[in-house]
Amino acid sequence: MSTPSSLEELIEALRCLPGIGPKSAQRMAYHLLQRDRKGARRLADGMSHALEAIRHCSRCNTFTESDVCERCASTKRDASLLCVVETPVDMNMMEQTQAYNGLYYVIMGRLSPLDGVGPRELQLDRLLARACDGEVQEVILATNYTNEGEATAHYVSELLRSRGIKVTRIARGVPVGGELEYVDAGTLAQAMRERKNVEA
Amino acid sequence: MQRQKVDGQPAYVLHTYPFRETSLIVEAFTRDFGRVALLARGARRPRSAIRGLLLGFQPLEVSWAGKGEVLTLMKAEWQGGQPLLAGHALFCGYYLNELLLHLLPREDAHEALYAAYAETLRCFADGVQEADLRRFEKSLLQELGYGLTLATDAEGRAVESAGHYAYQIERGPVRLSRPGDSALSVSGKTLLDLAHEDFSDTRSLAEAKQLMRALMAHYLDGKQLETRKIFRELQEL
Ligand SMILES: [Zn+2]
Repeated sequence: MSTPSSLEELIEALRCLPGIGPKSAQRMAYHLLQRDRKGARRLADGMSHALEAIRHCSRCNTFTESDVCERCASTKRDASLLCVVETPVDMNMMEQTQAYNGLYYVIMGRLSPLDGVGPRELQLDRLLARACDGEVQEVILATNYTNEGEATAHYVSELLRSRGIKVTRIARGVPVGGELEYVDAGTLAQAMRERKNVEA
Repeated sequence: MQRQKVDGQPAYVLHTYPFRETSLIVEAFTRDFGRVALLARGARRPRSAIRGLLLGFQPLEVSWAGKGEVLTLMKAEWQGGQPLLAGHALFCGYYLNELLLHLLPREDAHEALYAAYAETLRCFADGVQEADLRRFEKSLLQELGYGLTLATDAEGRAVESAGHYAYQIERGPVRLSRPGDSALSVSGKTLLDLAHEDFSDTRSLAEAKQLMRALMAHYLDGKQLETRKIFRELQEL
């Protein structure tokens, strides 16, 4: 039995999704065509509409439908603070804390030397230009506490400091409500190394 | 294919790659089995307990089981004693890892190299010295069997401190009548200092760096190091 080529094409296209192999792609394609043609139409329309409409905010680099996103355009945010995160998901997490009222810059990745991801792939020059707009007084580095996140934070901080900008890094340590007995040893070891003075 | 089960093996994570939807392939450098690829099932799930442990430059003890090219990681335990690398040291750590990923064949044990790697990371925690990098490169070449000839020349004569040499790969230093101008030209003093791992002379250190770079380029056989490329790009910013 030969498979019609548009079906083959659909299966091949679905494989671009992360973690989708040929078998899952085939299952998804059959499901969409056989059981949910309405859903398939919505998916196709949604995809092509999003591709047309969504781009990167010219200020913070996150996804937006306008040149400047709502957050960057808001007058209620403190424009002297710029928080640097790896992904839009990280930015949303930070927003949920309601502990921060400044602006953001989303790198959309992290330095990963062994994967060949460097400053050019990440367009770090855009971040430098954004941080040096004259309004930003402090850049807060909120990249992950992984080796890649640390490497990213280190280089961004070196570059910004040499341009005379104050740079801080979010703290790490024992989680709120954390009992030492249940904290992983690596976190505890680093919390000890990074201990701070108790304020009177 | 023989079935393997290994418990509590000292190891460092060299690199990880995403695999399927929720898993990771971990390239690990182990003490008794050399470089192995371990499949960490579910390590990319949101609340995976193992993911935070699979951090490069930290001594671990890992257990695995399976057969063939990919073995399944069963357990990883944090060993401690190694401060997290930061700043420039991180980049130098990536350089070591990239060398090991390219030059170390799979499942070929190199206990002395493992010890040299661990020692180099410990030194990095107090700040990177060029000498640490040279020492590691030297033990890497020695352990892989590319043995450097440093104290004697290609003819078997003792290297003279005041002499000028050109290093011929696989042969050793060849005496020149005056200083050479290739990447492989070195002074006798540099050869002897490298042999004794004495890096107090800045000129020897600089020449040793150039020599090691040329040797690494030869053994990498045309492969470009990503870490070096990215380091260059960062300095251009
Ligand atoms: Zn924005």
